Amino acid sequence: MEHKTFDAAIRHTDGVVAIDMTGDIDGAAEAAMNAAYAQADAAGSDPVLLNFSDVGYINSTGIALIVGLLAQARKSHRKLVTYGLSDHYQEIFRITRLSDFMGMYDDEASALQQL
Amino acid sequence: MNEQPKSNRDANTTWAKPVDQLQVSGVPTGGINLNVQGKHLSGPLNGFGQLWQKTYRVALTGQEVEPTRLIREWKSNFPSFWPAGNNFFGKLGSIDPGDVAVLNLSGPAKSSISTGIMVIYADDESFSFMTPQGHIFAGMITFSGFEDGSVEEGGATVAQIQALVRASDPIFEIAARLRIVHTQEDIFWHGTLANLARHFGVTSPNVTQKDILVDPRVQWGEAGNVWHNSAIRTGLNLPVRMWRRIFGEKQ
Repeated sequence: MEHKTFDAAIRHTDGVVAIDMTGDIDGAAEAAMNAAYAQADAAGSDPVLLNFSDVGYINSTGIALIVGLLAQARKSHRKLVTYGLSDHYQEIFRITRLSDFMGMYDDEASALQQL
Repeated sequence: MNEQPKSNRDANTTWAKPVDQLQVSGVPTGGINLNVQGKHLSGPLNGFGQLWQKTYRVALTGQEVEPTRLIREWKSNFPSFWPAGNNFFGKLGSIDPGDVAVLNLSGPAKSSISTGIMVIYADDESFSFMTPQGHIFAGMITFSGFEDGSVEEGGATVAQIQALVRASDPIFEIAARLRIVHTQEDIFWHGTLANLARHFGVTSPNVTQKDILVDPRVQWGEAGNVWHNSAIRTGLNLPVRMWRRIFGEKQ
């Protein structure tokens, strides 16, 4: 599988901040991912929705980056939910116990319903 | 970070399959096999103490070692790079997703702590471990290699260990705040990276360390993890091990 450069953009929708991610989440994604989260964080106390629909590959460094985001969100009592993870990565979120702390939904509508 | 991934990127082969409870395949005579069998994995968010990201690095200066070769040899000889007095009882010669290993770590006053790890991820340029309940730290440790400039330009391949961990329970957190377990952890990984660098011909390895406090809070909801504390459980089992050593295993 070819490496796809990571990018992230934020958008405001229905009282939440969504971070739309594309490409692969690995060590090279660190700066873009942290910048997107910082932007979302600065937008206020809205819950954050992580959109994984267009994410390709996630390696263990990428999982560590997501753990870091989740830790920041918990520190500021901000709710963080995800949608668009493939079945395989939902399994990986269970292995790494990330699923204990963030909801995983199939699509944006289901995720918004839970917020 | 300077990592530019070029390795195999098939999530079906690089990630471990989910497991409910860890299964140990065996530990050689003399090893202490406690606190792993039947335990659940415990991620960076399941522990009690402050969440730290600790990054240790050594540059293989002057040596032409591709990151893939670094990781291949690191995986093949993983236990041999550990500082003396610590044992890694895993599959010989490789590190593969899903592998479970028992660790006997040297503790205070020449004691031993039996705990373990599961390999949750492995590709050509990195591999990651996750800890079970009761381990000193709850979290993930990733071992990786990447190029930091070319050798001709004065750059080198860098070996990195990055731990994202929090003390598992209040007792380990007290030891962490007193710098006892952090100092042991730092000495351990500095020693490991120095041994690894010497293996590749670096005569005076310079190991660097960067710590980031990701979450300064403790998680009181996880205080009950103390029930699984591997140091206490290994200590409590000492009379049983001594009895067996003196009188032998009753069949």
